[in-house]
Amino acid sequence: MPRREPLPLASWTLEHLASGERDEALAGDLLEHYRAGRTDGWYCRQVAAACLLSWSRSLAARGPVLAFALIWCLMAPAWQALVESIESDLPYNQIAHFFGPLMLFVLPAGWTALHAAFLWVGLLVFRAAHEFLRKPLRESGMRRAFWLTALILVPTAFATFVFEQLYQHTLPILAQAKVAATSLGQIADLGIRANLIRIPYFVALAGALWGTVPPARFRQTAPLLDNGPDRASAESEASAVVSASGAFTTKRFLAFLVAAGVVNAMIGALVFCRLPDSIPSSLSTLLFRAIAYIAIGATAGALGAYAYWQGPWSPFRDQPPLPFPLFALVCASGWVWIPSMVIFFEAISAATALVAIVGTFLLVAGVRDVTYFTLTPAPSKSFSHPHSEAELFEESLYRAPGDATGFTIAICLFVAGVALANQANLIAAVLLALGAALFSWKRTIPRGQSFESQREYRKAALRLALVLVPSILVTSWSLLGGVDQRNRAMQSDGATGASTRSNSKHSSKLQRISYGTGGYESVILWPYPEKSKTVQPIAIPGPVFALPGDRPINIRFDGYYTYVQPPNKLPGPHAHQAHGTPVDVDIESNNAIPVVMEAHQIFPASIRAAQVGHIDIEIENRDNRPGPISLGLLLTGTDLREKRILYLGQQPIVSTLPGRFIVKTEPVIETLHFEVPAATAFPSLTGLNLLILPDIEHRFVAPKIAIRQFQFYPR
Amino acid sequence: MTSRSYLGEFELMLLLAVIHLGDEAYGVPICRELESHRRRNVSVGSVYAALDRLEAKGLIASALGDPTPERGGKAKRYFRITKEGLRQVHETRRILTSLWKAIPEFKLGLSQEE
Repeated sequence: MPRREPLPLASWTLEHLASGERDEALAGDLLEHYRAGRTDGWYCRQVAAACLLSWSRSLAARGPVLAFALIWCLMAPAWQALVESIESDLPYNQIAHFFGPLMLFVLPAGWTALHAAFLWVGLLVFRAAHEFLRKPLRESGMRRAFWLTALILVPTAFATFVFEQLYQHTLPILAQAKVAATSLGQIADLGIRANLIRIPYFVALAGALWGTVPPARFRQTAPLLDNGPDRASAESEASAVVSASGAFTTKRFLAFLVAAGVVNAMIGALVFCRLPDSIPSSLSTLLFRAIAYIAIGATAGALGAYAYWQGPWSPFRDQPPLPFPLFALVCASGWVWIPSMVIFFEAISAATALVAIVGTFLLVAGVRDVTYFTLTPAPSKSFSHPHSEAELFEESLYRAPGDATGFTIAICLFVAGVALANQANLIAAVLLALGAALFSWKRTIPRGQSFESQREYRKAALRLALVLVPSILVTSWSLLGGVDQRNRAMQSDGATGASTRSNSKHSSKLQRISYGTGGYESVILWPYPEKSKTVQPIAIPGPVFALPGDRPINIRFDGYYTYVQPPNKLPGPHAHQAHGTPVDVDIESNNAIPVVMEAHQIFPASIRAAQVGHIDIEIENRDNRPGPISLGLLLTGTDLREKRILYLGQQPIVSTLPGRFIVKTEPVIETLHFEVPAATAFPSLTGLNLLILPDIEHRFVAPKIAIRQFQFYPR
Repeated sequence: MTSRSYLGEFELMLLLAVIHLGDEAYGVPICRELESHRRRNVSVGSVYAALDRLEAKGLIASALGDPTPERGGKAKRYFRITKEGLRQVHETRRILTSLWKAIPEFKLGLSQEE
C-alpha cells in the first residue's frame, strides 16, 4: 500500500520558505502526524503556522539589525548625491586613457566600491556599537557581511533601476517625484524617489547583517540512543561528508586555477596582442601573427595557473588531483581563444560573445572530462550495497534535488540577447560564457570508466590540435576586422577633431552638466565673455527700429540658453550659471524628469512688428543622437506698455528627421523659416524665445543645437 | 546562575509532558499529550518554538534520534528535562499549590454550583 504524501507545495514551502535553520525534526513530526491520519488542510495550516512562527522569531531576533539598517539607510540619498557629484567631476578621459580596455572592469568596480563604501562604514559602526554595548556578534558572519553587501547591492540596485525606468512614465507619483536639494533635506526626505534610492542600500545592509546574529540555542547533534549499527552508519556518513567536503575544496581551487589562467591569458593578450599598423601584406604574415598571439594567450594562461598551483597555500602543491602538464594541456584548448576575443572586444564586435562561448565550452568540457573521476567522491558503502535496507529507504524517501542550471542558462541567454542588442558586448560575452560553462559542465560525461593518465594526455593533445586551426583562423579574422575598424575610427576622429578645432576655440573646455540628485536645479548658459566683447550685435539706432524697406537685416544671436525641469518654467535663484554654447556642453537629467531647453534673445531696441514679413533662424546642429527635433518661436513684445507674447508655431529641424539624420563629424548649418501674420497684435518686438522641442530620445539629454543668427525680412 | 524567570502556562505544560513521556519525548507524542489533556489542537510549530525557548533557558535539552521511514527519513528530536527544569517545575508547583490552598472553595463558585 503506498504511503500518503502531503501536498508537494506545502512540503516545498516548509523546506524552503521557513526562516532560519531548517528544522528536520519539525518536518518529520508533521509528516508523522499526517501519515497517522491528519488531513491535507491540517498539514497546510501547520506548515503556514510553522513558517510564520519561524519568520516572526527570526525578525524578532534581528530587530536591532533591521532598525540599524533602516536608520543608517536614511542617509542613503545624501550619500548618492555625494557619489554623483564625485562621478560628475571625475576626469573620465584621463582614467580611460590610463586603464585602456580595463576601463570596462574598472568602472563597475569603482561604482560598486563607491556605493558599497557607505554600507561598509555602516558595518563598522554596527560592529563598534556591539563592542561598546558588549552584545554578542557572530564574527564569521560579520566578516562575510563585508563582501555580501557588495554582492547584494549590485543586483538590488539594478532591479530598482529597472523598476524606475519601467514605471517612471506611467506612475504619476514617480514621474513628478524629486529629491530634496540639500543634504539634510535628503536625509529627512521620505518621498518615493528618496525611498527608491534607499531600498537597495537597506536590502544589502539588512541582508548582510542577517547572518551576524548569533544562534539562539545550542543544538546537540549526537544521538541519544547508543545503538551500534546507527553509530557505524553515522561514522561512515561522516567520512563521506568529509570526503565530499574535501572534493568540494578541490573543486573550488580547481575552478580558481581555471579562472586565474583565463585572467592571465586576458592580461597577456591585452598587453602583447596589439593590432598591427596596417593590414598584413601577406597571408603568411597574418597567420604568423595569429599563431604568435595564440601562443601568448596559452603561455600566459599556463604561467598564471602554474604560479597559483605551486603557491605555498595551494592544496595541489603536495597532492595534485592530476598532473599540471595535463591540466595545462586541457585548459590550453580554451586559452587559445582569448587573444581573438580580446581583439574582437577592442573592435566593439559582437563576435566577442561568439568566441567567448566557444572558448568557454571547450575549456569547461575539457576540465570536466579530465577531472570527472578524480573529483567525484566515492560513494559510501552503506549506499552502494545492492540489497541493503538503506538503499530501499533512499529510493522511497528522498526526492531528486532540484536543479536550477536550466533556468540560469535561460536567464543568461535572455539577458545576453538584450546586451547584444545594446552593443554591450562584454556583458553579453560574460553571460554567454557563464551559460556555456554551466551547460558544458552538466552535459560532459567521460567515455571511459576511470582515470588513465596516458589516455587523458592523448585526448587533451588531440583536442588542442583540433582546436588550433579554427582558433588561428578566428584570430586572423579578428586582426583583419580590428585593423579595418581602427582605421575607420581614426578617420572619423580626425574629421571630428578638425571640425571642432575650426569651429570653437573652447572645445578643450567641454563641460558635463547634470540635473537631479547631485546636479543643478537649473542651468543658464551665457555666451562666452570674450565673444560678447569682440562680436558686436547689430547697432540699432533709437528706441524703435524700422526695417529698411528693400533688404533683410541680420541679427547675430548673443542671448542665453536656459535649461529647467518641469514644473519649473524659469531658472531658479540657485541656477548654475556658466559660459558656453549648447554644442560644447553635455547637459542631461540625473533623474526621471526631462530637461526643457530654451534660447532667449532680447533686442537692444524694439522692432516694428508690422514691418516684419517673416523671420529666418539659422541654427547649428551638432547633435548625434537620432530623433526628430523641432524649433518653436515665441515673439515677445509690448503693446501700450503691456507685455504680449505671440507664438509663431514650430518648424522641424530637417537634419534631425528620420531619413535625413546622419552621424555628424562637422556641424550642419540649417535655416528655419517662420511667417509673421499681418495682423500682429503688438506694434513692437522686444525679443524672441526659441523653444527646442525634442523627441523622447532627447527628453533627458539636451540636444546640441545652437542658434547662430536671425534674419528679419520686411513685409 | 541565570536570572530567575517564572514559567508560562504553556511552558509548564510542555515541561510536564516531557517529564511524563520520558525517553519517548519527541514532537509527535508531546503534541498528542498536550492535545489529549487540553482537548484542543496545538500547532506543532508553536510547540517547537516553546521548546526552543525552554532549551535556551536551560530547562530542557535535546538530541537527534534516528530517522524512520514514517517520517520521510527525518530524524526525531528527543527532549529531556534538565535539573534546573525539574527544580523550576517543583517550584512552580509549590507556588501554585500554596496559592490554591489560600483560596476558599466558595470564592471559586464551586459550592454555589453544587
